[in-house]
Amino acid sequence: MAVSTPLLGIAVLVYLMIIFYLGWLGYKNTKAVDDFMVAGRKANPYILALSYGATFISTSAIVGFGGAAGAMGMGLLWLAVMNVVVGIFIAFALFGPRTRQMGKNLRAVTFPELLGRRFDSRFIQGYAGLIIGIFMPLYTGIVLIGGARFVETTLGINYNSALLILTVITAAYVITGGIIAVMYTDAFQGILMFVGMAILLILTYTKLGGITEAHQALTNMAYLVPEALAKGGQVGWTAMPSSGSPIWWTVVSTLVLGVGIGVLAQPQLVVRFMTVKNDRSLYRALLVGGPFIVMMTGVAFVVGALSNVYFFREKGVIALTAAGGNVDLIIPEYINMAMPEIFVVLFMLVLLAAAMSTLSSQYHTMGTAIGHDLYRQFLKKGEISHTTNVTKIGIAFTILVSVILAYTLPPSIIAPATSIFFGLCAAAFLPMYIGALFWKRMTKEGAIASMVIGSISSLAWLALVHAKEAAPLGISQALFGKATLLTGTWTVVDPILIATPIAMLIGIVVSLFTQPIASEHLEKCFENIK
Amino acid sequence: MFGIDDPQIWMAYLLCIGGALGCIIYGLIHWNEKDPEEEN
Repeated sequence: MAVSTPLLGIAVLVYLMIIFYLGWLGYKNTKAVDDFMVAGRKANPYILALSYGATFISTSAIVGFGGAAGAMGMGLLWLAVMNVVVGIFIAFALFGPRTRQMGKNLRAVTFPELLGRRFDSRFIQGYAGLIIGIFMPLYTGIVLIGGARFVETTLGINYNSALLILTVITAAYVITGGIIAVMYTDAFQGILMFVGMAILLILTYTKLGGITEAHQALTNMAYLVPEALAKGGQVGWTAMPSSGSPIWWTVVSTLVLGVGIGVLAQPQLVVRFMTVKNDRSLYRALLVGGPFIVMMTGVAFVVGALSNVYFFREKGVIALTAAGGNVDLIIPEYINMAMPEIFVVLFMLVLLAAAMSTLSSQYHTMGTAIGHDLYRQFLKKGEISHTTNVTKIGIAFTILVSVILAYTLPPSIIAPATSIFFGLCAAAFLPMYIGALFWKRMTKEGAIASMVIGSISSLAWLALVHAKEAAPLGISQALFGKATLLTGTWTVVDPILIATPIAMLIGIVVSLFTQPIASEHLEKCFENIK
Repeated sequence: MFGIDDPQIWMAYLLCIGGALGCIIYGLIHWNEKDPEEEN
C-alpha cells in the first residue's frame, strides 16, 4: 500500500498518542492485584465487548480470512455465523455468567486458575499454564511478524526495527497498566476497526453498483474459477464447494469448526468474563459484541469475495491472479487500487489496531500463565506473596520469547501457529471447561485425563496427519517415511474434530469411574449460580 | 436471493445479520437482569 507519507505519519502519531494516553489511564487505575489481573471485576460492559472483539480479531483475520474468501468465495460466511452464534452469543449468554460467578466464588484471576480451583488441583493450573506459556508465544510470534511486516511496508521502517518498536510500545502499556490498560486501548482500537470495516463495506457495494448487482456479477463469474480450485471442489464465489470435496472439508472443518468452536476455550478471551461486576454486564455487552464481530469477519468475507468483481472489471482477471497468486495480498491490493487515499490511511490504522489489540492480550495472558499460574501457584505452591511483580516478570519473559521466536523460527513452523494454538486450546481445555461449568459429576481425575489426552492427541494429529502442519514439520516423514501418516480426506480434517471428541469422551468415562468431588467444595464453586 | 443463487450462502448471509440482531435483542431483554447474589 502506498500513500503519502506525511498524512500517514500524522495519523500514526495521533493514534499512538491516544494509545499512550489510554495506557497511562490504565496504569493510574491499577492499584491492586485484582486490578492488574481482572480489572478489579468491575469493567464497563461496552469496553468488555470491544476488548473481547478486538482481541478476537487480529490482522490475519481481516487480511488472511478476507483473502481466503477472495480465493474460495462466500462459503466462509459460515465462519462469521459461527463467530457470532458461538464466539459471541453462546460465550456471553451461557459460558460468561457461570465463568464470572465461579471465578468470583473461587477468587480465580486467570483461566488456568479457574480450572485448577474448580477441580481442586494445582497440577491442572500448572499444566494449563505451561501449555499456554509454551504455545501462545508461537501464536504471538505470528501476529508480531504480521504486524511488523505491515509496519515495514507502510511506514518504510526496517523490519527488525518495526518488530522492536511494535513490541516495546505494546509491552510498555501491558506491563505497567495490566488488563485495564489492555482493555482501554483495545476498546479504542475496536472502535477504529468497526468504523474502518463499516466504511469498507459501504464503499465496496457502492463501487460495484449496489448489493444485488454486486452479488449477481460475482455469481455470473463462476466460469472463471481456476482449474486447480475447480478440481478441489469449488464451483463459484457465491456457492458452497461441492459437499465432501477437499475445499469443502477445509472450509467446514478448519475454518468453520476449528476457528468457530476453538474460540470458546481461548484463555485470553475467557478471562474477560471475570472482569465484569454482574451478569447483566455480560448481557449488555452482547449489544456491541454481536454487531462488532459480524462487522469484522462478515465484512472481510463479503468484501474479499466481491474483490473478484472489481478486479475483473478493472483488469480482466480474478482476485487471486491480481494478487500474484498470494491470498494474503488480495485485500491490501484491493484496498490500494479501489479505495480513496484517505481510506487507505484509515485502513492501515485498522490493521495496526487489529495487530496491537491481539498482541496486548496475548502478552497479558501468557505472562500471567507463566508468572502466576506456573511459577507462583504450581512451582511455589502459592507460598510467595501475591503481588503483580512476578506476573510482570512473566510478561516480560514471554514477550522476549515471542520476539526470539519471531526472529528465528522458519516460516513452515510459525505459519500454522494460529490453528495449532486454537486446536490445542479446544482439545485440552474445552471439554474440561464445559465440565467445570455445567457438570458437577466431573472429577479431578476426569479433568486431568481429558486435558492431558486432549493436548497430546491434538498435537499428534497436527504433527502426523493434518497435512498443512505435518508436511512442513516433517516428523511423519522422519518416523514413517511418508509426509502424513494417514492419507485421503483425513489429511484435511482439522485436529479439533478428532482430539476434542476424544478428550470429551475420556473426561466423561474417567469421571464416571472415579470419586466425585466433595459436595462442600461443589457448593462453594456453584454458589449463586442459577 | 439478492443475486446469490445458492441457498447455503444467502442463508449464511442472513444468519450473520440475524445473529447480530439476536445479540442486540437478547441484551435488551436481559438489560436489568439481577444476579442470584443480588436477589438473596
